[in-house]
Amino acid sequence: MTTQLPPGMHLETVDDKIMTLNVGPQHPGSGHMRLIIKVDGDYIVSCDPDPGYVHRGEEKMAEYRNYIQNIPHLERPVIHDSSNILYPYCLGVEELLGIEVPERAKYIRVIAAELNRCIYILYWLAIYGIFLGHSTMFMWPAGDRELFIDLLEAMSGARVTHAYLVPGGVRNDLPSNFEERCLRQVEYFEKRLKEYEAIFYQNPLLKARTEGSGILSRTDAIRLGTTGSVLRASGVDFDVRKKEPYDVYENLDFQTIVMKEGDSYARSRVPYLEMFESCRIIRDALKKMPKSGSVRTKLKPNPKGGNDEVYRRVESGRGAIGYYIVSNNRPEPYRVKISVGSFRNLICMPYLLKGEKLGNMPAVYWGLNYWPVEADR
Amino acid sequence: MSNVIGIIRALNSGVKHLAVKRFTLRYPEQKLKFVGDGFQFNPETGVGIAGLRGRHILFHEHCTGCQLCSVACEGIAEAISMVKVHETWKHNKKAIMPQIDYGKCVFCGLCVDACPFYALYMTNDYELSSFTKSALIYTPAQLAIKPKISQDVEIKIDDRGASHG
Repeated sequence: MTTQLPPGMHLETVDDKIMTLNVGPQHPGSGHMRLIIKVDGDYIVSCDPDPGYVHRGEEKMAEYRNYIQNIPHLERPVIHDSSNILYPYCLGVEELLGIEVPERAKYIRVIAAELNRCIYILYWLAIYGIFLGHSTMFMWPAGDRELFIDLLEAMSGARVTHAYLVPGGVRNDLPSNFEERCLRQVEYFEKRLKEYEAIFYQNPLLKARTEGSGILSRTDAIRLGTTGSVLRASGVDFDVRKKEPYDVYENLDFQTIVMKEGDSYARSRVPYLEMFESCRIIRDALKKMPKSGSVRTKLKPNPKGGNDEVYRRVESGRGAIGYYIVSNNRPEPYRVKISVGSFRNLICMPYLLKGEKLGNMPAVYWGLNYWPVEADR
Repeated sequence: MSNVIGIIRALNSGVKHLAVKRFTLRYPEQKLKFVGDGFQFNPETGVGIAGLRGRHILFHEHCTGCQLCSVACEGIAEAISMVKVHETWKHNKKAIMPQIDYGKCVFCGLCVDACPFYALYMTNDYELSSFTKSALIYTPAQLAIKPKISQDVEIKIDDRGASHG
């Protein structure tokens, strides 16, 4: 006897050969998210990403707090990359309130953003290593990350959630011996980065697992709207820092890293090569930075924006982050919409995993530079 | 053949590190050195002074009980509440001062930015763990005590690599 199901509900037809696997939602490496994977033997037939387990309502919270009070909670989605996720918010609010930023503050913000990008990429690389069973590659980046965390701690006073960038500049000036210390640690770090090459990137075991898996073609990368390192690994020369330079990026000397292959290996290598560029930017910014001057424009208490709207975006560790801010003559913003790279890169996961071996799933998944907490906001 | 060479190279780069100094900080035997005496703020220029954002220090002789720190914390952590103190200060008629709940505080330091009277700063003290929740609530009298912190090690970089002390 068959029971009549209510309209809109249907039972899935079961195929004996196909098995459904739930990867997650308990923390498959980053934050809570679930991949519903159907496998035929060892091969993936379909993949359905299921985000939304760590939704925090950041956008709604921002409507009840003034422009300064928004700072600590807006950096919570990505605490490892907290300067970069605050950067577009600060740029947008400065445009809304009509604030001029001192020249020295612009350079300091760029240095903080690049240090934070390195911190994020090293954390990402550590998890990428342990996902592929390479425990040395977990220990090394996690240790070297301390160098940059220490630098940002000296700058901002906090190890992870810096709350350093504010509309109008930065919270405080650099400590006295910062430049010398920063140059020494960046130089040492570049030496260390070269060691990663032999143990990880030229390692035949890694190459065998990642080369040729999860290929995303150039046209697909553009069509699916991917961003950041995923887009650049597929051969598209797009970097917000180059194409729409903000603050002082147009004065600084760096290149965009582009690779043509579009496979997992290229996606893991692009962020690694970007760290060299970040080091170049930090060194260049320290050289060109004005040696003295104000670092913060004084704001009125409870500043109000006019009837206006603004959209600003920056390049973060995971791609372009954009803030759309609407104000209506009140101290609080009327609406804050955050467009993040993680969510846009998640879209291509079903396309990449189809036909892959299940064992390659972690490499493809983590190579997309997807951060669940940021995607859910 | 190239695979074998690649694996040998990878192993070799790992083996080399047997001779390299250990990077690990041996906490709590060693403690990191920080810049300055904690995060401070100059309300005249509107710019802070670099330092670690640890627990607060409250200068009773400057605090006027204006509640600006408490207002700044609303909507962020709601860790600061104003409580009565049994002290008589000419500039603090209401005799209220901030009490901070470190179970809630996120150490953003925006309360320090809000204080216009040089009364609330942050210190290098970051070891605040306790066995009870109530011990995390610091009264104005506890906040006035200057913490005693030993800081000795810095990151040292030489030919044999980076290490702590």
